[in-house]
Amino acid sequence: MIPRLGGVPGFRDLLPLEAEILREAQESVLAEMRRWGYRQVITPMVEAIDVLELGIEAGQRRRLFKFMDGRGEVIALVGERTVPVARLVAGKLRGAPLPMRLCYSGPVLSTDEGRFQQRRETYQVGAELIGAPGTVADAEVIALAARCLEASGVRRYQVDVGHAEFFHGIMDAVKLPDEVKADVRRALAARDFVALESLLDKTPLRSAEHELLLRFPALRGGAEILKAAGGLVRNRRSERALAELAQVQELLVAHGLGAVVSLDLGAIRDFDYYTGITFEAYGPELGRPVAQGGRYDRLLERFGRPAPATGFVVQLDLVCEMLTHASRPPTLPRIDAAVAWSGPGLRTALRLGSTLRMFGMRAVVDTEPRDAAQAKAWWQAVGAVNLIHCRSKSAADWTVRGRRTRQLPPEQVAGRLAGELV
Amino acid sequence: MPGALRLLAKAGLARLSADQVGRQLLVDRPQVRVILVRPADVPAYVDHGAADLGIVGKDILWETPGAHYELADLRFGECRLVLAVPLASGLNGPDTWPPQMRVATKYPRTAGEWFEARGQSVEVVRLHGSVELAPQVGLVDGIVDLTASGRTLKENQLRITATLGVSTARLIANQASLKTRTDAVQAAVGRLREAASA
Repeated sequence: MIPRLGGVPGFRDLLPLEAEILREAQESVLAEMRRWGYRQVITPMVEAIDVLELGIEAGQRRRLFKFMDGRGEVIALVGERTVPVARLVAGKLRGAPLPMRLCYSGPVLSTDEGRFQQRRETYQVGAELIGAPGTVADAEVIALAARCLEASGVRRYQVDVGHAEFFHGIMDAVKLPDEVKADVRRALAARDFVALESLLDKTPLRSAEHELLLRFPALRGGAEILKAAGGLVRNRRSERALAELAQVQELLVAHGLGAVVSLDLGAIRDFDYYTGITFEAYGPELGRPVAQGGRYDRLLERFGRPAPATGFVVQLDLVCEMLTHASRPPTLPRIDAAVAWSGPGLRTALRLGSTLRMFGMRAVVDTEPRDAAQAKAWWQAVGAVNLIHCRSKSAADWTVRGRRTRQLPPEQVAGRLAGELV
Repeated sequence: MPGALRLLAKAGLARLSADQVGRQLLVDRPQVRVILVRPADVPAYVDHGAADLGIVGKDILWETPGAHYELADLRFGECRLVLAVPLASGLNGPDTWPPQMRVATKYPRTAGEWFEARGQSVEVVRLHGSVELAPQVGLVDGIVDLTASGRTLKENQLRITATLGVSTARLIANQASLKTRTDAVQAAVGRLREAASA
């Protein structure tokens, strides 16, 4: 039987260049989070389904890989990490003072292959600010998300800020029977404005709230949109949401992010989960958000430690896609030296390899003896800049890509290569 | 296709002749680039952001739900997705359905969900063309297919016993395009809406 070399469908192998880009992006994002005082935690790949259920909706639950552990408990491979972090904050970190700033990274899994790339394993980096209510915390998390994208190398992006309460206020105020309201929520969740329109058409009572619902996808812009919407809503929840949005926008200007921030009152998110400010970051030519998050003040209480919270995730796969399609895509870092040897040159080669690495260079030492011609072929295959062929204790042939071969004592080769670095 | 072209012209976005469409898949106009693809492929182009906006039948959207915004009913290309059975068949309503129905369709997802919602166990046979042939040769009990006038069904000795839904052309938009290219996209949406309702 021929083994299935492609791996399990929906799961991806990251080849050296892709792995390098992903690792770099992940490290830069985590480093930025640390600069903001966020402490990294590592939560397991698996979580008890009872725990996950406290924070996810039925659709997400269905998409989890689940299995039984030896004790008969149902365990799932995590599909996100906000819920595990909430478990930590209420459990092992319950003695730690709030507010708490935590970050994490790792793959998340879904049985669903997704609409876009048939990926069931994706990589996320996230941050959570727990125990801090108010717009200053909201703005911190949004600013952090923006700076994380910049740190990863993303140059062009924009952040849309919305508010879950704006929608809730409208739904409270709009005069509709409960079952129609449920349908309205469903239509909005499916982003189906044709269905929404026909639902609202059936009701004789038209209010400003009706108009707002119908114009949902167009309720986007700068500060002026707040004024326009403020003139239309007549309910406290929506009005408070607009006031908070105005504050967050001012704070983001103070963070130095005025140019990338827009307001989106019609942002459609998981309204049962988010309780306040929400946001999404978009890059150019990418059909979906590269980072998203918001305030979720109801989650921690389900774990027995009520606390306000806000946070976000960066979709690393999408960051990598943006970097790869940038005008100057990242490349694999070069191998500095290929160290070949023949006869008694092995010991010299091993010593030279150690020396070069001590200087921070990337050096590969050959595993078998080769003559000059074979060594050149091997060097090409390795793709290194320098070839150093050690023939004895004291003699080495040094070739730099594109130049003639020179004979030098090995220590002098090391000295010159190290000198290049200085 | 003719409906979509008429609408694009009426909205003043692009005037394309049927002849042009036959030769070119990409047509550039000052403000807009028109991409011509098979109906079933429209959601893929829009969901991935290769197209900001798409014009596509609701029947396709039932079958391939995605992350796009469905913005407007463009009110042309109306047809119905129906369950049809042979004239001689005794299948009329849910009460007369066998324990395990067999239906042929180009819409396996929509058909499967419709029967499931009615508690009916169903075996969906996915076909790519001439669906109306399947019941005549005993492959299935009935078909779920799109019909505008019902003539093809009649010609094939089939009668409609249920309507799963009414489909018209819809305007869909990529979720990110609405955010990152708001002005241009909203302007095009406005013109298309106006042209559709005029």
